[in-house]
Amino acid sequence: MKILAFDLQGAKRAMLLADERLENLRRLMDMGCFGELEGNPREWNVLARHEAHILTLAEFLAQAGKDVAMFDEASALQSKLVSGEWDCCQFNASFPSDGGSADLYLDFDRGLGDALQHLSDDTLILVVGELCFVLVASSNPIDGYQDGSSLDLTPTVLELAGYPLPANIEGKSWVAGMELNRSSGLSDDEQAMLRERLSGLGYI
Amino acid sequence: MKKVIVIGLDGFEPKIAESMMARGELPNLMRLREQGGYTRLKTTASAQTPVAWSTFSTGTNPGGHGIFDFLTRDAKTYLPLMALSRYEQKNAFVLPKVVNMRRGTPFWDLLSAKDVESTILRIPCAYPPDKVKGRMLSGVGVPDLRGGFGTPTFYSTRKELHTEQSEKVVNVSVANGKVTTYIIGPRDPKTKSDHKFDIQIEIQKSENKIIITSQGQPDKLEVSLGKWSKWLKVKFKVGMMQTVSGIVRFNLRQLEPEFELYASPVNFETEEPLFPISSPQEYAHDLAMKIGRYYTAGMAEDHDGLNNERFDEASYLDQCRTVLRERRKMMEFELGRFQKGFFFCLFDTPDRLAHMFWRFTELNHPANKGEDVSRYAKVIEEHYRECDEIVGEAMKHADPDTLFIVLSDHGMNSFQRGLNLNTWLHDNGFLALKPGFTPGESGDFFQNVDWDKTKAFSLGLGCIFLNRKGREANGIVADGEAESVRSGIVAGLTGLVDSDRGAVAVRSVARSEEVYRGPYASEAPDLVVNFSEGYRVSWDTPLGGVPHGLFADNTKKWGGDHVIDPALASGVLFMNKKFSAESPSLMDLAPTILNAFGVAKGDAMEGSDLIP
Repeated sequence: MKILAFDLQGAKRAMLLADERLENLRRLMDMGCFGELEGNPREWNVLARHEAHILTLAEFLAQAGKDVAMFDEASALQSKLVSGEWDCCQFNASFPSDGGSADLYLDFDRGLGDALQHLSDDTLILVVGELCFVLVASSNPIDGYQDGSSLDLTPTVLELAGYPLPANIEGKSWVAGMELNRSSGLSDDEQAMLRERLSGLGYI
Repeated sequence: MKKVIVIGLDGFEPKIAESMMARGELPNLMRLREQGGYTRLKTTASAQTPVAWSTFSTGTNPGGHGIFDFLTRDAKTYLPLMALSRYEQKNAFVLPKVVNMRRGTPFWDLLSAKDVESTILRIPCAYPPDKVKGRMLSGVGVPDLRGGFGTPTFYSTRKELHTEQSEKVVNVSVANGKVTTYIIGPRDPKTKSDHKFDIQIEIQKSENKIIITSQGQPDKLEVSLGKWSKWLKVKFKVGMMQTVSGIVRFNLRQLEPEFELYASPVNFETEEPLFPISSPQEYAHDLAMKIGRYYTAGMAEDHDGLNNERFDEASYLDQCRTVLRERRKMMEFELGRFQKGFFFCLFDTPDRLAHMFWRFTELNHPANKGEDVSRYAKVIEEHYRECDEIVGEAMKHADPDTLFIVLSDHGMNSFQRGLNLNTWLHDNGFLALKPGFTPGESGDFFQNVDWDKTKAFSLGLGCIFLNRKGREANGIVADGEAESVRSGIVAGLTGLVDSDRGAVAVRSVARSEEVYRGPYASEAPDLVVNFSEGYRVSWDTPLGGVPHGLFADNTKKWGGDHVIDPALASGVLFMNKKFSAESPSLMDLAPTILNAFGVAKGDAMEGSDLIP
C-alpha cells in the first residue's frame, strides 16, 4: 500500500478537526479514524532510536528500497502523484505558532482535494497536526475517534500499509493483533443490497 | 414550426386505443387522428422503456445509444448491473459522480446548438440530466435514496412476517397507543448498516388515523386508514458533515388487530437532491415551489407495495392517480408559460397501471386464483380516458404553427407464463452447474454455476450472453466457436413449445448484429429472445437464477408485460399534421422534430422525417 502523509507542523486541532468547511478532510475523517496524540508533536514519525540516530518513517521505507519523496510545494507533490511512480510521499507545511487563520486550513483542504484526485484505492493517507491526526486506509479496522501516543502513529501506519515492523520500535501499533480489513468477493450483505436495488424495478 | 409539443404515454397499447376509438371513445386522440393521422409505431429490440425512449431521443437503434435492457452484466463478475447509469468514483477518497450510460446525441442537443429552447419533463435515461438550453427533469433511471429502483418499508406488529421482493419489513410493537420506530435511509457502506430517521406514531383508534411525529417537515403528519398521507420530508445524518434529505409518503393499512403501515421508497428531495435530477440543477426545486412536492424517483408508482400485497388495488389506483395528477400539474404549469420551442412530457402511469391491472381483463390469468375480476376489469380503459383528457388539455396549447405529437414507446400485453431461460440453457448443455447441483438449487446471481463449463447465460429481460473468452472473466467460448454456440441456441429456442399449454412460447431469437449496429453494438447481448404473446422471461431469470422446470405460471399481480417480440409490442403515434411513412419507427421522431424547426438531423440518426 502506498503512503501519503501530510505533516502540518503547528496546525491546531481545534482548527483542523472541527471546521466543517474542510470538506475533503471531513470526508477522510468519516472514512477512517482521527483524534488526539500525546507526547512530543514532532515525534509522530519516529519509529526507533539507536543512540543519536533516529529511524523515521521515511528513512525506514527508503532503506526498504521504496521510492520516498518529500515535498513542501503543492505543485511538486501533485506532479509526483500524477506520475503514479512513488511508494511514499510526505508533504511538509508549517503553520504560524498561534495556529494561523482559518483560510490557511481551507487552503490546505483544497490542496488535499487536488491530491486525492490522483490516488489509487490502495493508498494510506495520514494527516498530522500538532498532537492530532487523521488516518485512512482500506485495511484500517478502527474508525471514529481514537487517541494514543505520537510514537504509536508510525508503527500503526506501517502495519496498515502491509510492512513488517522491525524489532526495538518505540511505539506500539494500534492494530497489533487485530484482523485487518481485506476486500473480498461479494458478501451476503452486498448480494442482498444488490438484489434489493434491482428488484424494485418490478420486472424482476 | 414555432412549437413542437410531444406527449409521451408510456406503454399505451394500440389494440386498446384502437378498439376504444372504434367505439367513439378517446375524443381528443380521435381528433388528432383526423387532423393528421394515427398509426402503430415500431418499437425497439427489446421493447422496454429505457431502450425505446433512448431511441426516441437519439434517433438511432440501441447500438447507437448503448441501452439494450434495464440491466446489463458485469463481465468481470457475471453480476447484474443497472444499465441506465453508473456511479463512477476515481478512487475511494473522492465523491462519486453519476454518469448516464445513454450515449449518442439526443436531438435536444442539436436544438440547443441552434438556440431552440426545450422543456423536457421526466425523460427516461437522462440521469444525470443532459445540459439542455431550457430545462429538463429526469425520469426513469432516477433512483430512490437507497440507490435502487425503489425500496418501500412495511411496519407491522405481526412477528412472523416474511420480507417480500424489494422491501424492508420492520417489526414494531404498540405501547400505550404509541409506536416508536424509524424511516430507513441509505446504507452506510462502511458499517453496512442503514441510516435511520426516528419517528413516533400515535394511534387514534376512534378516528381511524395516526399522527406521525418527527424532526421532519411537517413535524406532525396525519395518516388516515386506507389512505395516502402527504409527503414527509426527512433528513438522514450520513456522516460528520453530510446530511441527506428525502421525502416519503405513508399508506395506513390497518390499526387492529394488527398495526400495519406502508412507507413509500424515500424519494430525493428537490431542494438538495443527492445527485442532480434536473438541468439547470435548481429547476427541480423551482418547479416544486410552484406545484408542490412531487415524486422524483424514476419509478414513481409503488407497484412493489401492491405486488407484495402491502396495500390493495384501490390504494394502488389511488396512488397512480396522484402521480398522474402531479404530472399533469407539471405539464399544465410549463405549457402555461411555453411560447416557442420544444416541449415534452412523459406520463408513465399507463404503463405502471396496466402492468398491475392487466390480469383483470383475462378470466384465465393464473394470477387471478379464482378472484372476481369484474371490479377492476375496466380500470385500464378508464385510465386511457384520463390520458385522453390530458391530451385534450395539452392540445389547447397547439396553434396552427405547432406540430403536436402523442406517442407511446411500446404497447402492453398479457404475461401468463414465464420461461426459465437459464434452465433451458442448462438442460440443453449451454450452462453447467457445479458438480452435485441441479436446477432449483441455484439461487440468484448464478450461484453454483460452473463458469469453466458454461457457454451461455441469460440475465435481464430475455438477453442471452455467451461466456466469451477474453470478454467474460471465465470465458470459454473462443471466437471460432461463438457462431456455432449461437446457432445451437437459436435453433433450439425458436418455436419452443410450452407443452402444458400446447403453445409456441418463443417466436424467434435475434442475433445481436441483426438488430444492433453502431458504436455501442459490441456491448449488446449476443442474442435476444422474442417471446409470443402471453409469455415472458420468468421471474427467476433476470438476476441469474436457474430454477427447477422450464415454464412457470405467472401468479404475481404484475400480470401484464410487453417485453415480448417487438413486432407484437408496437406503440402508438398520433400527429396533428399529415404524415406518410410505410411503417414509422421510434427512430423517425428525432428527425421529424428537428426538421419541424428546420434543423438538420444528426449524422448518426437513422430515421427520416415523417412529414412530407
